[in-house]
Amino acid sequence: MVASQYAPSEANKTLWVFLEIEGDDFASVSLELLAKGRDLADRAGWTLCGLLLGSDVADRANQAYSYGADEVWLCDHPLLGEFDVCGYSHATMQAIKEGKPSVFLLGATSNGRDLAGRLAVRLRTGLNADCTDLILDEDRGVLVSEVTGFGGGVIALLESAEHCPQMSTVRPGVFVPNKPDPSRLGELVEIKVKLKEADIRSRIVERHVGKGVDLTQAPVLICGGRGIDGDFESLRELAALVDGEVGATRPPVDEGHIERERQVGQTGVVCRPKVALNFGISGAFHFIVGIQDAETIIAINSDPKAPIFDHADYCIVEDTHKILPELIKTLKRERESIHA
Amino acid sequence: MPDLEIVVCMKVVPKSEEIRVDMESLLLERTGVRSEINPPDMNALEMALALKDKQPARISILSMGPPFFEPILRVGLAMGAERFYLMSDREFAGADTLATTYTLAKGIEKIGDVDLILCGEESADGATGQVPPGLAEWLDLPQVTLATALTIDQKKRIVQVRREIKGGYEIQEVTLPTVISVKTASNEPRFIDFHRKPWAFEEAEVTIWSHDDVDVDDGYIGLTGSPTVVSGLREAEVRDRRKEFLQGSPEEIVRELAKRLQGMLT
Amino acid sequence: MTVDLGPIEIDDALWEELIEITEGKAAPCFQCGVCTATCPWGLVRDDPLSVRSIMRGAQLGVTQAQEAIWLCTACGQCEIYCPRNVPIVEVFQSLRQLLWERRKTPTGLSPVLWSVYWNNNPMSQPPSQRMDWAEGLELQIFDPSKHEILMYFGCTASYDSRAQSVARAIVQLLRAADISFGTLGEEEPCCGETVLRLGHSPYFQDVAQHAIDIFEKYGVTKLVTLSPHCYDVFKNHYPRVNDSFKPIHYTEYIADLIEGKRLTLKGNLSSKITFHDPCLLGRVNEGTHSPRAILATVPDAHIIEMPHYGPDTLCCGGGGGRMWMETPPGERFSDLRVQEALDVDADILATACPLCISCLEDSIGSMGVTNLRVRDIAEIAQMALGEVSKNDVVEE
Repeated sequence: MVASQYAPSEANKTLWVFLEIEGDDFASVSLELLAKGRDLADRAGWTLCGLLLGSDVADRANQAYSYGADEVWLCDHPLLGEFDVCGYSHATMQAIKEGKPSVFLLGATSNGRDLAGRLAVRLRTGLNADCTDLILDEDRGVLVSEVTGFGGGVIALLESAEHCPQMSTVRPGVFVPNKPDPSRLGELVEIKVKLKEADIRSRIVERHVGKGVDLTQAPVLICGGRGIDGDFESLRELAALVDGEVGATRPPVDEGHIERERQVGQTGVVCRPKVALNFGISGAFHFIVGIQDAETIIAINSDPKAPIFDHADYCIVEDTHKILPELIKTLKRERESIHA
Repeated sequence: MPDLEIVVCMKVVPKSEEIRVDMESLLLERTGVRSEINPPDMNALEMALALKDKQPARISILSMGPPFFEPILRVGLAMGAERFYLMSDREFAGADTLATTYTLAKGIEKIGDVDLILCGEESADGATGQVPPGLAEWLDLPQVTLATALTIDQKKRIVQVRREIKGGYEIQEVTLPTVISVKTASNEPRFIDFHRKPWAFEEAEVTIWSHDDVDVDDGYIGLTGSPTVVSGLREAEVRDRRKEFLQGSPEEIVRELAKRLQGMLT
Repeated sequence: MTVDLGPIEIDDALWEELIEITEGKAAPCFQCGVCTATCPWGLVRDDPLSVRSIMRGAQLGVTQAQEAIWLCTACGQCEIYCPRNVPIVEVFQSLRQLLWERRKTPTGLSPVLWSVYWNNNPMSQPPSQRMDWAEGLELQIFDPSKHEILMYFGCTASYDSRAQSVARAIVQLLRAADISFGTLGEEEPCCGETVLRLGHSPYFQDVAQHAIDIFEKYGVTKLVTLSPHCYDVFKNHYPRVNDSFKPIHYTEYIADLIEGKRLTLKGNLSSKITFHDPCLLGRVNEGTHSPRAILATVPDAHIIEMPHYGPDTLCCGGGGGRMWMETPPGERFSDLRVQEALDVDADILATACPLCISCLEDSIGSMGVTNLRVRDIAEIAQMALGEVSKNDVVEE
């Protein structure tokens, strides 16, 4: 049997959360995991620690405490300024070797998944990825992870009781962050990171955020049909609020309301977004083919007999004009309150 | 300059919509369930083939699975791959990602002198995306995931990878050899080359490796080598579209919708 | 988009390949240009599809005008008028085959072939859901010792919700006539017509052989199809199945049942109906009689013909694999067809092909027409049976 780098008997009663930095903040998923981690740690009587890597990032620890961390384990090194999976793996290993957590949680972001995947192998431990829930079996001190497979058709409970740390990645949006308590204090543990240039094995040559239409890669797709009367301006506004892309059925494209690159369907683009939000679309088969693999399909149409309702998860029989502006207003309000 | 040696890791998955769980054994029911090649692996193979269009390359398909994978994956040879290695042995069965990536890594080492390892972004059954980084770690290679395009400079031994990130893309540069995972649906896999087809399905010799053929530590493969244990399994209640009608006034509906969107969104 | 051949490239290897693939069929062409004049693309574009130039290209060996090669809907209008009987549609398909070999096909088409390969249908629909449309109808699996015919529904009718209503209508008609029929259920093989029209002849041979193997396994001889596309390909493009294999289009079968008094239509329709002949029924396979014979027995149905009727039918634009390619507004043949139906004051635009239904209804929608409905012959006959189940009839 393959043995992990340290046994459960050697592990400390700590739960670690990877604090992924996104610009000036932590990625929301890290805050969500701190909340869940707080809950699990409280039940088990464990210590909740955030793992923070970067260059000159010590002052961010306070934010971690305010979101529930008891400790922040800090790997601060100039070579950690940019995320590089090899460099981060190296540094994280050093921290984990010292800290020996029982559980290590990471957000299932593109970087989080990469880091988790490498670390799990380096640590010779089990990794449960994209978990939809985490349960702590307090008697055994074992983390049970709920995951889905087969396109959501099957739900499995996974655990790795004999290996340490028990690792899981969790998708953003599964848990809810706590309200920050700025009065909360914590302890900083600094790791003397040993890193050299050769440990950084990738180099970012360019980075582009913004333009470019690639509907197939959009996690959220907002489609408009005949029923929106060409009001793609509102759809674009909605799309901006949910980090989505705008698509269309053929009629509005024909009428020149939107470019053909955004036509979704059998003769257009076939997409597999997390969420497909459809406004004023009747749901002819050749359009449905373009979104049928979406995780969740939501349809808004004033015609209760619109065929699209046979293909949707959430159906709203209502005039688009009564829903769309209200939805934009509500999401804007929520966005502003988060950033307040 | 020698041909670029590319290994594409591929697997066969059951069609998701047909999967059933046997509630007694807590195992997946496979009888009568149709199979297909994991769709993202087709994107990975297409990326390899596109590289071969531009520079001399040799493409090997590597897979770990039961014997029935063989006839199905031969289609990769028909698309343009030259060789197919199947790691097939009861001892490999029951593997979680740690054991799977270990086994595949040993397979890659046995193939030897590999420049580029391509994988699909994730698999249609497990969908964890862990194999590419795990492989890279076992092989002590750099990695880039979610690639949509590659440019290789064989002389300088570097590859520039266009990678999707939140809200856009970045270009990352790594040295060869490296592991790269290909973003799902980022290309259109070419259809079968019918000139290759007879060879691919009838004549081509597929190399089948049992656990004795590869330099593996038996404690690291299959169920034995898997730290992860399935302690529960069930079918999700809702398999078809929910067709749930939201009720109420427009304001109430919007509130409900916004709440649900929050729960779904990245 | 103008069709511009550009400088003619004579590439010996390409030319030989062309002659081989087309079996020299373009050779008899003497460039009279009647094909170009009769092609429906000339009705919607200032620069028509120069069929003549493409035939010239096939004779000489060119790779230009690739886009134009994908415009052909396989309607066969050009072939009717060709004085040399050049099998023009086949030449186009052969040119497409060449483009597959050269990997110069438009985006979106490889996935269609892969879909047939993995899912047994071109629409990327789950194979296990092929019979979902028939839930509650208690259809039987074909058994030659019990069943008079195999009813072959086809991929479009199985998966496209609009076409499913035609399938259900046919079931009801067969039962009303007391016909004992079976289906192949989930094992019903894709006929492969899409593959043939998209030009991938080698793969089409595989698909056809697979279908033939299944027909042999079940002992299929008399086979009734819903779509003229499936009918045409079984009848004209399949290798020999067996001596008794006989594909029939359902309009011919139903017309015979009515003539033989096994089925009677009695419900009043009181509508002005005009029939749009599907190309593969009315023009290519001389099936103009049966649909009209069926309509003629519907009491109170007033039948009018459009200018382009029978073998002169105006293509809807959906054939030739074009359901997978985008046709810009203003270039859709079905728009013209809908206008013809409006011009003869019809209430119902009848047809007998699921692709025609799709194109015609699409045009009606985009043209904002409200006083014309598209109905399949089967749906009209079902309505005229007298007892109509509200779930089966397509409502506006």
